[in-house]
Parts: sequence; C-alpha cells; structure tokens
Amino acid sequence: MTFKNKFVWLVAAVAAVIAYLSFYTVRETEFALITQFGRPVRTVSDAGLHVKWFYQSILRFDRRLRIYNPRPSEFLTRDKKNLVIENYVAWRIDDPGRFVQTVGDVSAGEMRLHDIIWSDLSAAFGNQDLESLVSASPGKLHTTALLDNITANGDRTALAQYGIHIADVRIKRLNLPEQNKESVFARMRTERERIAMQYRAEGEEQALTIRADADREKEEIISTAYKDAEKTRGEGDAEATRIYGQAYSKNPQFYKLVRTLESYKKVLDDKTTIILGSDSELLKVLTKGEAAAR
Amino acid sequence: MSTVQTLDLESSAETETPRRLFWTRKRRIAAWILAAWILSGTYIVSTDQQALVTRWGRVVEPRVGSGIHYALPWPIDSVFRLKVNQLRRTVIGGDIPDTVLGRLQPVSSQFLSGDQNLLNIRVVAQYSVQEPRDFLFNTADVDRTVGVAVESALARRVAHTSVDDILTTEKSAIQYDVLQEAQTTLNNYQSGAIIASVNIENAAPPAEAADAFRSVAGARSDAIRIVNEAEGYASDLVPRARGQAAQLLDQSRAYKEDKINHATGDASRFEAVAAEYSKAPKVTETRVYVEAMEQILPKLKKLIVDSNGNLDLTLIGADKPPVSQSGDAPK
Repeated sequence: MTFKNKFVWLVAAVAAVIAYLSFYTVRETEFALITQFGRPVRTVSDAGLHVKWFYQSILRFDRRLRIYNPRPSEFLTRDKKNLVIENYVAWRIDDPGRFVQTVGDVSAGEMRLHDIIWSDLSAAFGNQDLESLVSASPGKLHTTALLDNITANGDRTALAQYGIHIADVRIKRLNLPEQNKESVFARMRTERERIAMQYRAEGEEQALTIRADADREKEEIISTAYKDAEKTRGEGDAEATRIYGQAYSKNPQFYKLVRTLESYKKVLDDKTTIILGSDSELLKVLTKGEAAAR
Repeated sequence: MSTVQTLDLESSAETETPRRLFWTRKRRIAAWILAAWILSGTYIVSTDQQALVTRWGRVVEPRVGSGIHYALPWPIDSVFRLKVNQLRRTVIGGDIPDTVLGRLQPVSSQFLSGDQNLLNIRVVAQYSVQEPRDFLFNTADVDRTVGVAVESALARRVAHTSVDDILTTEKSAIQYDVLQEAQTTLNNYQSGAIIASVNIENAAPPAEAADAFRSVAGARSDAIRIVNEAEGYASDLVPRARGQAAQLLDQSRAYKEDKINHATGDASRFEAVAAEYSKAPKVTETRVYVEAMEQILPKLKKLIVDSNGNLDLTLIGADKPPVSQSGDAPK
C-alpha cells in the first residue's frame, strides 16, 4: 500500500466516524437530550432519524408512562382513626433537561414523587373523617375529588421542579393497621352475631305473623260460615213454624189432643208405673159396664 | 515501484491469478451478503398477530395484517409482532404458594368495605390489545398498569359497598363498575389495552371472622325454614277451614230443607186428619185417644185401683223392690 492509499483510507474512516456520530435515531419510547460538552442543548421528542454535530452527545430518557407503588403508609384521619393506604402514581418524564439536572434517574425520581405525594396525601386525609373515605352511602365519599386535587397539585410541583409529569395519583388499597385488626375482627364478629340474631328474629316474626293470619282467616271463615248456617237454620225453623202455625190454627183443639197423645208416647216408657183409677176414662167401661161409654 | 514489477515479472505473473481470484471471490461473497441483507427484510405475520413497523425508531406502519411482508432490513426498520386477540391475565389479590415454607402466603388482598369490614378479595382481569402502537410504546409495563387500574377501581367500589352486598347481591354490579372505571383510567393513560372481563373469583371474610359469617348464613337459612314451615301451616289450615265452612253451610241448608219438609209433611197430614175429624169430632177423639192408649199402655207397669179406695204401697214393693222406690206417688 502506498502512502496516498493509506491517506485515502484514513480520511474515509474519519468521515465515516463523523457521519456515524452525526446521525442518531430516536425511538417512540424515548426522548433524546442533546448535550454539548455536558451542557444540555435541546430535547428531541420526535421519533426517527436525526442529525447533530458530531461533537455533541445524546442522553436517552424513557418517556413511557410508569407506575410507581410507594410502600403502604399509615395515615391518621381527622376523627383520629388509623388507616393504611396503598397508593400508586402514574408518571413519566416530561422535561428531560430539567429531569437530568435535578433528579438523574428513575429511582431518584420515584423518591422525589414519594416526597411530593406523601405530604399532600397525609395533609388531605388528615382533613377527612374516615366516613368520607370509606362509607356504604356513596354520597359521603370525597376520595375522587381529593385525589384529583392531589394529582393536579403534585403535577404542577413535579413539572416545575423535576420535569416530571404526574398523570394520576390513585388509592389502590384501603386497609387497617395490623394492630387494629384484632379489634376490627371482634367488631365484625359481634356485628355478625347481631345480624344472625336479627335474621332469626325476623324469620320468627314473619312466621308468627303468617300463622296468626292463617288462624285468624280460619276463624273468620268458620264464624262467617256459622253465621250463615245459623241464619239458614233460623229461616228453616221460621218457615216450619209458619207452616205448623198455619195448619194447626185451623183446628187447635184437635191439635192439642193429638199432640198431647203424641207426647205421651214419648214420655211414658217401660220404666214408668202408672196408677189408673178404675173410673178413669179408659177403664170406665171395664169397671162400670158398657153404659159408661155413652 | 515499476522497477520492482519488472524485476519480479515472473513471480508477479504467477501471483496475479490467485490475487484476481481472491478479489472476485470477495466480491461474490459481498454480493451474496448484500442480497441476504436485503432479503432479511422479509417477514411473516401469522393469523393471530398484527405487526407494527418502525423506521429509524419512528412508526411507519402502525398495523400490518397477517401474511408475508417486506420491510427495510436492519438497522433501518424494526418489526414488532403482537398477538392482538390473545387474552392476557392479571390477578389482583389471592394467595400464592410460598415455595420456601411450602404453605399459602396471603398476598395483600384485604380490602376495607363501606361498613368497615375487612374482606379478602381475589380478582382476575383479562385484557387484550386495542391499539398496538399505544400498547407497545406508551406504558412501561402494561400488565402492571392494568393491574393497578383494576385494583384502584376495585378499592374505590368496595369502599362504598357494604360487606353483605359484596358477598351476595352486588357482585356482578361491582365487576361491571370496576371494568368500566378501570377502562376509563386505561384510556386516560392511552395504554392501548382493552379490558375484556373483570371477574371476582373469590370474596370472603378473613379467617378470623369466617365462622361468624357462616353463622349468619345459617341464621338466614333458619329464618327461611321457619317462614316456610309457617307458610306450610297456613296453606294447610285455610283450605281445611274453607272445607269446614262449606260443610257447615251445607248442613244448615239440609237442616232447613228438612225442617220445612217435615213441617209441610206434618201440616198436610194434620190438615187431612183434621178435615176428617171435623166431620165426626166425638168419634174421632175417642178413636185417637184409645189408639194412643193401646200403643202406650202395653209398655207400662200398671196399677189399677178403685177410685175411692186407698192404695196399698206394699203392692208395688212386693212386685219388685227397686221399682217401689222409684214408683210414683198416688195423686
């Protein structure tokens, strides 16, 4: 190889290196921060192929939304109840220039987030009764408004100070501190016993009502029927009386005779001893002779 | 240089051939490599996949369907394949086996209900890709993002529902609400994920209070049993009473009929007899009287005494001592 050849090769190599250093790609998931001898010059957020001066270097930052789960922490509500809250923060790097100068990397960023959010959260929950965080009646809950507020405040602070965008702060879990759980379980048990008793009593109540209703209905049915039946019987008796009256009043004397004799047939039986005078109507003929009959 | 060449004419002529060969082989290899490099841009997307192509890191083809395709070779283009219809699963809460101690280790799955009861809840969410571009590039960890979105929606929903509702009637409503809320959150994050289902696999009170909850269930079924028994009693009693009532009414109607018929019968008999009687009253009176006596007297014990004589009571006593005591006194 000649010297001229070597020189050509060298120039080509240097040109290639410069070209290589002048072009760079930015992916969809990142920001590129162009620094010139350590000083940030500009941020490139468009993905694609870009050109820079070969002496400038690039720092890449993940721009994707990431979830930060701080450790669960205990808060004291306004009505002095302890509450363990597990929250998460959805965040991403928004201003890489500021981020690299004030924070550096992701784990340092999470520490900053923890500081910002924790103080806001504890202030906000310290101002609320437990009722407004946990309540079976939905009207009392303020959690969403509270968290939106914290998100907005935190976002402002984080963006201005650290170049971090806070997209969302949310509560993942509400729980009670371990040392309070035993008393909660005891309360749950007594509450359950009360409910069980209530169920039994209510069942009993319902059953008694049903039975009483049935009994009443039965009485009602029977007594109504009795009423109607007696009425019918009465009608029968009245009608019969009317018919008898009508018939017998045509000849009361004869009726008296016939009826009296009828009743003798019933009243007198084989246990009866009758003493008849010999001059009685029946025996008159027997004792006084045939003339007595006339 | 030329002098050297002329001097080594023979040797150079001899080395010329391998040298030329060397160059041509190199070119040929280079050509092959170039061809292979160009062809390496061919890629296949299978039926259950969609692909996304970036050029120098920038998205140029956001959705490529299945089939054979071409993209510029590395490092210009990159192809990302994604199983868009595949359901991915994320589990919130529940127990995972502890491999070290060989027992179930409860994960932090305890939630506080609206009436301040603690509940262990395990939820399985299934999601798939809605927008490949967002799914791939917008969030650092899609699975984790879906997980926290579902978990926070669940915590919020559970915090305003009473424990009884969670355990019984509200379960499917909670599933639906959590799905909706988590999806809204994910849309706000532009995560490109769509939740297919949120399923509460298990919602149970903690072991410390489980017995009490079971006794409530027992009490509830007891109450239902008692009520059913009462209803059984009622449905037995009332129809019987109705039957009894019908019987009473029928009997009374029968009585009425009977009375009237009897009366009518008696009356017409009497009227008939009375009509005859009025034709010969004396004779009929005697006949009736005597006939009656004939019927009555044979059954009786009879003592016939003289109308002006006194009655000797021993007569009755001698006949039959007990009768003497019950014997009627003379008039």
